[in-house]
Amino acid sequence: MEMYIKGLGVVGCFGSGAGDLAACLEKGAPPLIAKVSASGPAYLAETSKLETFVPKKSLRRIDHFSQMAALAACLAVQDAGEPSSGAGLTGLIVCSGYGAAQSTFSFLDSVINDGDACASPTLFSNSVHNSAAGHISILLKMEGPCLTVSQFGMSVHSALLIARQWLHEGRADQVLFGAVDEYCNVLGYCRRRFFGEDDTGIMTPLSQERQSAIPGEGAAFFLLSKEKNEKSRYGAVVDVAMGRIEEKGMNLSGDAIYFLGADGHKSCDRLYKGVIPRGIEAACYSPLYGSLPAGPAFDMAIAALSIREGRLFASPESVKDQEGFRIIRGSNTAAPSLITCLKLEKEDEYGIITLADG
Amino acid sequence: MNRGAPVAIAGIGCLSAAGRSLKENMTSLFAGKRHAAPPVRFSSRHPVSYPVFEIPEYDLPNDASEIKKVSRTCRLGLSAAVEALQDAGLDAGQMTGTRVGVCIGTTVGSTMNNEGFYRDYLSGMHPDMSVIESFLRGNPASVIAREYGITGPCQTVVNACSSGTDAIGIGAAWISSGMCDMVIAGGADELCRVTYNGFISLMITDDSPCRPFDRDRKGLNLGEGAAVLILESDRSLLERKGQARAFVLGYGSACDGYHLTAPSPDGKGLRKAISDALIQSGRRPKDIAFINAHGTATKDNDRTEAMVIREMFPGAPFFSTKGYTGHALGAAGAIEAAFTIACLESGMIPANTGFVSPDPELGAIPVIENTGISKDIALSDSLAFGGHNGALLLGLARG
Repeated sequence: MEMYIKGLGVVGCFGSGAGDLAACLEKGAPPLIAKVSASGPAYLAETSKLETFVPKKSLRRIDHFSQMAALAACLAVQDAGEPSSGAGLTGLIVCSGYGAAQSTFSFLDSVINDGDACASPTLFSNSVHNSAAGHISILLKMEGPCLTVSQFGMSVHSALLIARQWLHEGRADQVLFGAVDEYCNVLGYCRRRFFGEDDTGIMTPLSQERQSAIPGEGAAFFLLSKEKNEKSRYGAVVDVAMGRIEEKGMNLSGDAIYFLGADGHKSCDRLYKGVIPRGIEAACYSPLYGSLPAGPAFDMAIAALSIREGRLFASPESVKDQEGFRIIRGSNTAAPSLITCLKLEKEDEYGIITLADG
Repeated sequence: MNRGAPVAIAGIGCLSAAGRSLKENMTSLFAGKRHAAPPVRFSSRHPVSYPVFEIPEYDLPNDASEIKKVSRTCRLGLSAAVEALQDAGLDAGQMTGTRVGVCIGTTVGSTMNNEGFYRDYLSGMHPDMSVIESFLRGNPASVIAREYGITGPCQTVVNACSSGTDAIGIGAAWISSGMCDMVIAGGADELCRVTYNGFISLMITDDSPCRPFDRDRKGLNLGEGAAVLILESDRSLLERKGQARAFVLGYGSACDGYHLTAPSPDGKGLRKAISDALIQSGRRPKDIAFINAHGTATKDNDRTEAMVIREMFPGAPFFSTKGYTGHALGAAGAIEAAFTIACLESGMIPANTGFVSPDPELGAIPVIENTGISKDIALSDSLAFGGHNGALLLGLARG
């Protein structure tokens, strides 16, 4: 069953909204990378635009994680031209690899600094994984089915399976679907401990030799519907699949353009070469949004933008040519009828999201 | 909401502070036993000690090398899965392949909140990274999938306190849509200092054993545990000559859009979730034998839930089992689904332990002694942080 994309909202280091993402893709260069003290470089997002949707005083008790998600959700609803996403049967699905990481550690700060009896209730309630969905449902007055899932790098794929299921069952007429992850210093510290120092600030995904992942943060939301209409200019999600590479279930079409979810983790990035059909054309955009579990949602957003624009965007220059397939360089290549976003993870997990021109 | 086909439940596993197996749990419930006590595995500096429902360490499997590396939440989940598979007459070799899925609800199991690691990090030490490696390899659904070589859909639901209910509803949908032949679905959650301090900070924790639906209730007690249901397609059951123990007849989910930590006073989200479960099952409220309520014993939860039960199911018996297990958060909905099926099978529901005095504001009284039932369908519901509500309609017969 197809899921038509009626609206798109994105927040990341590139700015907020489909326009900012398109401008970043057009430029083809990595965004300004914030230097984070003691934790190395990171791609950080900014959410002040949320005040155009929500009164500032309503945001005081909403943390950065949920603000990123709420802004992307509001942008997706606005982009779809919907008066409100709360009307009738609108479901809400949010996924995240790490959840509200900063609020989790800030809550621990309150315990460590102020004592067990003075722990912060606001930080605790914001630290729960489904806090972003809770805030969005309140801000957008949503009353339909609601779900938050967390499956690290496969979060987006597993959550999309549910969106499709809800639309199929008639549980919802449309689904506001999104992925969000936030950066915090502890995550940056863990990255350094696992992978060592690399402050060049340049991601070189698909490299077999260099660990170049730079942590990112942001949110990407979509308003999905099973009905095609004049608002379905972003095309449709026609296939979602996940599993293990060694299984026979991974069918990769030679007719699709591939958006590779390689994000500078060389142990994962080296897997791509072994699985994608030879001779295909591929792009990789992670140097524009960073390395984060929600990354596949950004590739899905770029695929949707490509379908809307009727053309493909060039991969950033730091994505090097590969033996066996061609990296898309020009910005004016016509968009094909099928775009497959492929994510490969450690332990041979794969996730596939395929979009087609509706 | 479309009408859906019933989904078979072929096996059940469950552990909580009330018992190491579903059978032990039900024996405790019907005997009125409760084991609330101050936490043993961690300490705190609160002026008073808040009781919890903790599973003794010796009750958990700890011999396999893989199990030693994963979180307590995952060990709880694996333990329930072992019991459920045995109950279904399945061995590990029958669980491999792409048409088997895993869907597990949790809260603590997906949170990177190791306090010891963080304290070392703050103090400038080089904390042991094995804690983080364990977290990154410790997604509860992935751990179960890895243990049994399952390569189909794998999902960890983090819908706070309704996670277990939602995971079973999602697993059932994977079967009914034809995506899977078999799904290991349920919930698992461990007690930890972080959630202990968190719930106390919200001032919704009782410093004595909890009293669901009682006039003098002061809040919840935390618990821990896991429950797993083996959901299976008719085709798979037929092929292996298995038997359905019960059925998932309907599932509903709805959010209040009201408040992050309190239910909507008019109960609109819970009402919609229950209505959707009824619609999917094609059943009516009068068909329901009983309601296994969320019943956390917080002021707000019990007020809203009692109102919805009173209005949607007038006169129907209801109870909460939180007085026996504590609130096991992401596992609660799955544990209560397991209890609901066991109650239907035994034709008996347990007393709502902790209840003494009716609350005039609620206008509803839970069952106060073990009570016989005659119908074969029941409702289990969950209310969660984020204003989320989930409901499962479970039955012994398909229709």
